[in-house]
Amino acid sequence: MKTLSKIFLVFAVIALFSCDEHLTELNVNPNGVDPSTVNPNLMVPTIITAKWQGYSDAAYQGGVAGVMQYVQKSGWGNELNKYAWNSDQDWSGHYNLLRDAQHLYNRSVEEGMEFHQGLALVVRAQTFGMIADVWGDAPYSKALNALNGGQEDLFPPFDTQEAIYKGIIEELKKANTLLSKPAGDYKEISASADVLYGGNPAKWRKLANTLMLRYYMRLSVKLPAYAKAGIEEIMSKPNEYPIFSSNDDDAAMSFVGSSNADSWYANVTYSGNGGSDFTRIQLCAGFRDVLVDYNDPRLDVWFNPVKVQIKISTEHTENDVVVDGVRYLRPEYLVEKNWVIYNKNTWVADVNAGKTIIDTSEFVGLPIASTTGDGSAWNLNPNPIQGGPNVHNSALDDIYKAAKGSLLKARLISYAETCFILAEAAQRGWSAGGSQKEWYEKGVKASFDTWGVGSSYSAYIAQPGVAYDGSLKQIITQKWIANWTVAWESWADWRRTGFPVLTVGPKGTREAMPLRYEYGGNEISRNKDNYLSAVERLVETPFTATDGKDSSWSKFWLLQ
Amino acid sequence: MKKGILRTLFFGLFSLLAVGLYAQVSVKGTVKSDAGELLPGVSIVVKGTNTGVITDIDGNFSISAPNAQSTLVFSFVGMKTQELPLNGQTSLNVILETSTIGVDEVVVTALGISREKKSLGYSVGEVQGEELTRVAQENVLNSMAGKVAGVQISQTGATGSSVSMVIRGASSLTSDNQPLFVVDGVPMKNTLNNVTNIGSGNLADYGNAISDLSAENIESVSVLKGPSAAALYGSRAGNGVVLITTKSGKKSKGLGVSITSNTVIESPYKFLDKHTRFANGQRPFTQDNRPNNGLDYYVVPVGDSYWVGPEMDKGMLAYQWPYFNENGVPEATPIVSHPDNWKEFFQTGVTSTNGFSLSNSNEKVNYRLSYENMMNQGIIPNSDLHKNTISLNSEFKITKNVVFSSSLNFATSGADNRPATAERGANPLQALYDINPHIDIEDLKNYWEPGKEGIQQNSPYTLEFNSDGTYSKVDRINNPYFLAYEVNNSFRRDRVYGNAKLDINFTPELSLMLRYNHDQFNEKRETKIAPSYTGDTKGVYGLVNMYTIEQNADFLLAYKKTINEFNINASAGGNYMYSYADNNTAQTKNGGSGLIVPGVYTLGNIAPSNLVYSSGSSQKAIYSLYALASLGWKDAIYLDVTARNDWSSTLPAENRSYFYTSASLSMLLNNMIDMGSNISLAKIRGGWAMVGNDTDPYKLMAVMGNAGAWGNETRLTTSGTMLLPDLKPEIQTSWEIGGDLNMFNDRLRFEGTYYESENENQILNIGLPPSSGYVSKQINAGLISSKGVELSVGGTPITNKDWNWDVNFVYTKNRTKIEELAEGFTYIDLWTDAKGGAVTRVGDEIGQIVDAQMVRVDDPTSPYHGWPIIDDEGWDDSEGWQTALNNGTPNVIGNFNPDFTIGFQTGLSYKKWTLNASIDWRVGGQFVSQTYRYGESDLHTNRWMERTVKLNNMSGAEMAQYLKDHADQYLLPGGEFYVVVGGPTADMGGLEHTEDGITLNDGVFMPGVEGYYDDNGKFVMVAEHLGDEGTPLIRYQDFYGWSYTQTATFDADFIKLRELSLSYQLPSMKAIGIQNASIAIYSRNIVLWTKAGIGIDPETAFQASSGVQKSGIQFKQGIERYNVSPWTIPVGFKLNFNF
Repeated sequence: MKTLSKIFLVFAVIALFSCDEHLTELNVNPNGVDPSTVNPNLMVPTIITAKWQGYSDAAYQGGVAGVMQYVQKSGWGNELNKYAWNSDQDWSGHYNLLRDAQHLYNRSVEEGMEFHQGLALVVRAQTFGMIADVWGDAPYSKALNALNGGQEDLFPPFDTQEAIYKGIIEELKKANTLLSKPAGDYKEISASADVLYGGNPAKWRKLANTLMLRYYMRLSVKLPAYAKAGIEEIMSKPNEYPIFSSNDDDAAMSFVGSSNADSWYANVTYSGNGGSDFTRIQLCAGFRDVLVDYNDPRLDVWFNPVKVQIKISTEHTENDVVVDGVRYLRPEYLVEKNWVIYNKNTWVADVNAGKTIIDTSEFVGLPIASTTGDGSAWNLNPNPIQGGPNVHNSALDDIYKAAKGSLLKARLISYAETCFILAEAAQRGWSAGGSQKEWYEKGVKASFDTWGVGSSYSAYIAQPGVAYDGSLKQIITQKWIANWTVAWESWADWRRTGFPVLTVGPKGTREAMPLRYEYGGNEISRNKDNYLSAVERLVETPFTATDGKDSSWSKFWLLQ
Repeated sequence: MKKGILRTLFFGLFSLLAVGLYAQVSVKGTVKSDAGELLPGVSIVVKGTNTGVITDIDGNFSISAPNAQSTLVFSFVGMKTQELPLNGQTSLNVILETSTIGVDEVVVTALGISREKKSLGYSVGEVQGEELTRVAQENVLNSMAGKVAGVQISQTGATGSSVSMVIRGASSLTSDNQPLFVVDGVPMKNTLNNVTNIGSGNLADYGNAISDLSAENIESVSVLKGPSAAALYGSRAGNGVVLITTKSGKKSKGLGVSITSNTVIESPYKFLDKHTRFANGQRPFTQDNRPNNGLDYYVVPVGDSYWVGPEMDKGMLAYQWPYFNENGVPEATPIVSHPDNWKEFFQTGVTSTNGFSLSNSNEKVNYRLSYENMMNQGIIPNSDLHKNTISLNSEFKITKNVVFSSSLNFATSGADNRPATAERGANPLQALYDINPHIDIEDLKNYWEPGKEGIQQNSPYTLEFNSDGTYSKVDRINNPYFLAYEVNNSFRRDRVYGNAKLDINFTPELSLMLRYNHDQFNEKRETKIAPSYTGDTKGVYGLVNMYTIEQNADFLLAYKKTINEFNINASAGGNYMYSYADNNTAQTKNGGSGLIVPGVYTLGNIAPSNLVYSSGSSQKAIYSLYALASLGWKDAIYLDVTARNDWSSTLPAENRSYFYTSASLSMLLNNMIDMGSNISLAKIRGGWAMVGNDTDPYKLMAVMGNAGAWGNETRLTTSGTMLLPDLKPEIQTSWEIGGDLNMFNDRLRFEGTYYESENENQILNIGLPPSSGYVSKQINAGLISSKGVELSVGGTPITNKDWNWDVNFVYTKNRTKIEELAEGFTYIDLWTDAKGGAVTRVGDEIGQIVDAQMVRVDDPTSPYHGWPIIDDEGWDDSEGWQTALNNGTPNVIGNFNPDFTIGFQTGLSYKKWTLNASIDWRVGGQFVSQTYRYGESDLHTNRWMERTVKLNNMSGAEMAQYLKDHADQYLLPGGEFYVVVGGPTADMGGLEHTEDGITLNDGVFMPGVEGYYDDNGKFVMVAEHLGDEGTPLIRYQDFYGWSYTQTATFDADFIKLRELSLSYQLPSMKAIGIQNASIAIYSRNIVLWTKAGIGIDPETAFQASSGVQKSGIQFKQGIERYNVSPWTIPVGFKLNFNF
């Protein structure tokens, strides 16, 4: 008995004293890198790919590409075709990216890696800029602080849209300074990790300053003096503020193309759904009308002509017949069926009159908000399938089927856009290092070069309507064309200037284009008080209807 | 093991009591069992005194009674207590009868200690081995369904899929709430990490590891329900403990051989409620009224998921898959439905389970060796499951006081193919149910395109005719046979578990048990997908290797003594637990470039840029010390107390150690006061307990995640979950009271328990506003309370020489509520899906399902107050559920938990015939069916066609009047949800509608009102949408309540015939060495009735899913996604021989 008690006691004592260290060792996670010691280079591709992919996916095939009338969809397209925007626009993706960008920044400060700091700041500033562009007021100065643990860190207050824009411009200035040294002076740049610019600080520096131009111009109407001063400061000190100077500087990321995750969106190589992700994206009439009006060669780069063109003709006795790849309709049959040929000036009235629109062009686009259906039966499609192809509507050019390609890039901002910003600055009478016409023409030329049709530039620019007439409308319209797959920027420009002038149909959620995103449920439900005070600052419009203030048709500060 | 302890106990008691007693009348005798066995350790008490002895090893006793008329009371665990008046005799030969049910029942409790059930202060559920094997199930957990109050069993799908067991409702918000399984003292891993997804949309459920157990080997199962019962198992016992005792050789007299053979054949009889009326397409076109495709006939668009195309069986000609006649020329044929497609796809399922056991015993050694083989062929073609188990239980008496015993088990489970489930993609059931009946499934049986075997599946597609006379094949969909045969998810799990144990009796009072337990398994999962699967057209290969081990070393020092009326048992012990798991995966990238050479399934056949691989491991250890004491007084009052301290590696050093206790009391009123002979047991009991709980490894500090390589570049990302470095253990506190009453010689039995529990400091992830930079934060907070009632009423209405009839009802009701969360957090979401979610707010019951809200006129002064607001195009508007939740009007549409459940078991025997039945009834609760949501939004169901309001025989004005007259039903919130007036055709109520230049009768509208609020918040009506002039019509195809969960939410009530069996005991065949033999015929799991009536078993409305609650694999309860195995009627045969 005594021996046993001793054994028992010994066991207990051993257990109590030796176990602690053993148990602590066991709980050291062997499966991942410790964030406090991570090499910043391992996070560089993370934030670049997340930023560029996230930005350009929607700008190519999301609601914003629909609202700016580049494309429509033939199935699951209410978001594009009808502004049926999800009332719950979650920004988690942006703030998750910001968390990584913040960590990259913090780690590179610890390691004294200034290139990485600058890169992280550029991504951070652009992401906050985008949040302000899309939602308006948002947590900024107190955002991303949850680790500090206070109530204001866990439930951050919303900064005003104005404060965010001004804040990110300061951050971009800081990035400009951080990135101003020769490449050799930086610590541990990994060229391969920088999947955008191959570890070239000068390019990142230009990107920072070019983005600054973008955001100054964003404030051109609301804070004209501030915007003017900012742009003039940059343009007057080209050595201090280098900006994009050629297409080589474009912030356009190429794809790897090894699987769906690192390939061009909705490609037919990897994406499932039997290619339907691709076929559902179709040309929109609004974009087509402008491109066709000026014989724009880029149309042929971006879209295919229809497979079967419709012609109104008395050539055949049948009312509706397909002969040799052309569908012939007799004019009296159109009258009988209450069908009417598409006219860009009257189609809205025709839809309102209950008529069915027929488009007889070589390139056909579905007009926005023109049908109650999903768009798959548009233009007498003989095989209406949700998300399916339409022989009477233009599909994207075949280059967009691929997983990667020299033209398939995630584009954030380009030299062409820079030229148009400066053209606008000059047009507004600001000192922009050139005349508005020079910058306008450089912009068009840059876009033509980007899309491989530079040889057609001279003929194009000489046409009436394209030849510069000194109007803001022309600058923004050309900027809109050049910003194909950069629809976010086109939307921002349209809200600020009203250009390009776009016609919208009566079948949308509202008979007007939306102005912003509604806040997302995760933020609303978990940060309600701060949300409510931000919503108070929105101003309703006649189109907010029953939405209340937090509506896609409400005006945030920039538009008030 | 059980008997070992008992023997030790009674030797001890005997030695203690046999001395020092004074004598008046000396009585001697022997005690035997009804089977003729001499019984050592039987307790003999002189009634009305404290005098008592126990029998020696040979069953002999000697006792002094006060006088010759005294009465002796003989009691022994597992035997009926017998009272014998001496009537002057001094020599007695007593035979004790085995008791099956009732007062003297012995159950296995914590740490494997056998206790008389009457002495327990808490509720223990019990299932005997024979009840588990009467009807063979491939997973033993299924056999427990309905048999124990407070236990809920659900299964994700058909044979071989995951089975969940939840005791007394979910107590933790972040774990899977599965109980701890302990087999002969070995804690068994029942991991629910059983879902692997390799290849796009190829989710395979490999079933739980607990299915490695063979039901035929089980002697009994004890379900320790509350923390009182489980307190001694510590951290892992918070969800209850299932103690399984396997059969041993002890009962065998000489060499015994037993052979069992089971065969179950099942055939499907009930399928989803899909219509066979319209072909694929968006509108029910006719020959004269269709889009012009330049052809003489319509082309049925196979790739269009809608089923509102031309009506079938009306003679309409169309080009339709497979399009070509024998000359290879496209030919239009009549559109004909094939209503038997679903039935034809399935095959008869066969499961055979065969096994034998050998057992033997003598004074020194006893053993039992058993082998079992299970082979299953599923009802889905090319699906299977198989299992082999070998077990050896043995015991050696080394000396009189030292006994060595061990249990060794080897199990190999596997399958060549587990069909994909619970997803859209590789799931053959989804492909089958989504093929429109205009296609004849016969045409799909040869699932390779001729000449392209191994390269291109023969699958339905749309033929796109080009204007130049050429055509192309577009919009291919998957052939369900191809998915069944060429998407193969195989697995093999080799498992070894068992223990080695030494029992030493130092003195009759003092004994020591030393034991080592071991459980380990290797599991390999392999996925092979042939080229041309639409999700991954170039083929897929993936390999997962998993290794898991858990070791436990424990000791228990036990002391027992009886002093006068007091019976004392005290034990103290300790346990060291260590577990380790790793996982290595290599596979083709999902949505990647596939395999280099089609059909070669090796890692070497994957291009380096297309290969993804990962590995991970985790380990954990817990040290524990514990003690328990039990004090009995006069067989009338029993008090148990326990205490335990754990040290867990998963918690920070300062919070690592946690101590918790329990106490329970049992009072046998019938032994305290005379209650007459009609009452054989009247017991009240109560218990209080605390259980601490740790967490998974590595929860204190986040590491970087890998977002996958971009080309050759590694992408590391920070975790969106904030961890808590100073995590505390969860503490669950509970109490229960209950009573047991047995009357009329145990012919009426009642047992009831009420319990409450509170789970504090829950370790849970709670959502943060995204702008804080984090998605969620791990917190140590909250209070979750549960309360519930468990009742069981049993009776033996008839018992005589030939007849015996037993009935038993089990009633279970549980409510779990969130009482508190952390500051600033008002709700927790268990899952979000189907536009809604399972969201519980503080103060509400867990399991609530919330939905988006239909926007209605909320101006109370308006005559339209409550009406849906419809826009000028005719669409309704919905408000996101999260927004609704925060606007203070959470739209709760249901709860996934039942109101209560009732299980009913009955057994009727006549001579050698026995009929057993078990029926389960669930009342209340709802589930969401994603299958119906997808299917109905594509207009596949009869239900939706029938659901629309058919008023097309009325004029517009009449419709408007009718709808206004029935506003309660069609316009106001209390009426039908999501009202649609119209239908697909004129005879289905459709209204005339022109779209894209074609007029058909497929118009519908939603009744409501168009308008806006003026500046004073008054609703201004613009137009009534009631079918009158100006009501915009929308085609039938477009109008489904996709934005609402409620359109696909169903009542979960059901009645299920869990088991039905008829067995016959064959006459003795001793001449040929057969001691006894029986044959039986049975059936199981027949869904008798569901309230929803949609062909989906509500029990399958839960999914194993990773990342729910942001941690590990858990179950999403109350939602179903293509878990749609048809209902079957299995017929089973069982043969049993003992030699």
